[in-house]
Amino acid sequence: MNTVTIKFLAFSAILMTATISVVMSLDIEIFEDTTNTLTIFGIVIPLSINMLTMAGAIAIAVITSMVTGKYIHQMKTDTATGKLAEESWDGIGEYKNELPSGWAYTFLGLFIWSMWYGFIGYPINAYSQIGEYNEEVLAYNKKFEHKHKNADEETLKKMGESIFSVQCSQCHGEKGDGLSGRAEDFTQKSTESILKIINEGQNALHSFPGGMPGGMASGQDAEDIAKYVASGFKGTEPPMYAVCGGCHGANGEGVEMVGPRINGFDMKNTLAKGKKGLIGEMPAFNTLITPIQEKALTVYIQSLSN
Amino acid sequence: MFHWLEKNPFFFAAAISIVISFAGLIEIVPNFTQAGRPLIDMKPRTVLEIAGKNVYMKDNCMACHSQMIRPFKSETDRYGAYSLSGEYAYDRPFLWGSKRTGPDLHRIGNYRTTDWHEAHMLNPPLIVPGSIMPAYDHQFVNLADIETAYAEAVTVKNVFHTPYGPEVRRGREAWEAYKPTLIEEARKIASDMKDPRVIEAMKKGDVPEVVALIAYMNSLK
Repeated sequence: MNTVTIKFLAFSAILMTATISVVMSLDIEIFEDTTNTLTIFGIVIPLSINMLTMAGAIAIAVITSMVTGKYIHQMKTDTATGKLAEESWDGIGEYKNELPSGWAYTFLGLFIWSMWYGFIGYPINAYSQIGEYNEEVLAYNKKFEHKHKNADEETLKKMGESIFSVQCSQCHGEKGDGLSGRAEDFTQKSTESILKIINEGQNALHSFPGGMPGGMASGQDAEDIAKYVASGFKGTEPPMYAVCGGCHGANGEGVEMVGPRINGFDMKNTLAKGKKGLIGEMPAFNTLITPIQEKALTVYIQSLSN
Repeated sequence: MFHWLEKNPFFFAAAISIVISFAGLIEIVPNFTQAGRPLIDMKPRTVLEIAGKNVYMKDNCMACHSQMIRPFKSETDRYGAYSLSGEYAYDRPFLWGSKRTGPDLHRIGNYRTTDWHEAHMLNPPLIVPGSIMPAYDHQFVNLADIETAYAEAVTVKNVFHTPYGPEVRRGREAWEAYKPTLIEEARKIASDMKDPRVIEAMKKGDVPEVVALIAYMNSLK
């Protein structure tokens, strides 16, 4: 071992000591995290990210010092040997040395790798942004469906509230009040508009060919029904409600393909097909809202009027 | 073989450019021509929609709104399916935009309606609390430049072979013959609107800018 090597080993020791003392002063726990361990010859080494970083830092310090030392030493002592090429450029000659073996093997290795990459690696493992998007969405939807399969009321309401503020509040208002008559008011059902529908009929949801004809109830009966429906089916049921129940269900829960739900806000048909009713036109949201989100929105919107 | 190249710096530079960009060329050019084709069954914008697009450009909507939904879940959840290159095949120029002060508009036609746009253009903060979008009241007064829009349709048909029907062709008579179709289309949209200025203008057979713009918005699907 010559003096230069000793000098550089000493230098790397100083580097390591400096690094370790800085790490110690920063209170970073290097050997504390023992969740993953590696056992070599019976010695248990904790594998934390800090530990690995530390090991890497030490390795870099040692390698740098050794390599620098080697070359500085070589520059001081080495003499050039070999056969000179015949040409001489203004007195500067060139040796006819063999290609350095490390260089040659690296070149060969790169050549083999490039053939593999060009013909197998890239075509088979090619990255696609759309592919990544599809995988992400599939994985997320699976997780989402699994997580919220039997979600409780509170979770659904919270979810519904956030969906509402993104997709619905632009027309129905942040509070769901319909921005003073610009869209459906979710905080209360209006007796007048129900009365209007009873009198004039409506086919806003296209749930049944021809829709609901006007004048199926009139006078006091119609008013009673309107009040009863607007109150959310509270109080005694007016006898004439039976006329409505035929299509909208005995409790106003709606009948598939016949009449929409009226004991609350009909979300299913409205979101799927959109609605052009008394106030204006609402577009369909079938491309933006999934079944679980629809459930969540239903819970949230019904909670606004209670 | 290429000895003469070394004596001609210009051709040498050109040859170097080709060699260096070769891999890029064979990867990018075929992909571009493939993906840039219009989607199957895609129709070019109607003349009224072109007029709306010109209003969109005139009022610089693309300074705040993009028209490009990227394939990220956070974007497709909010705006709908991600955009495809072929969807812009008839857009000259495309209006992707690069700044989203407001939301993306590429599929706005799926989830907003005529009357929403009308109320929103008159007073955005009233509809969307906290919105910093200014009101575009002048669009209810100014008339859309439908003649220029028709000329644009004729031009792109002749120059780029955009598939418009035989009714779109050169000449004043052709325009006069086409105009009722456009007015009819505008009436259909205006029938959902309540602003008296729009109703008045439509009665006279004029098309206010806002009607053309809404036609364009509704066509973004």
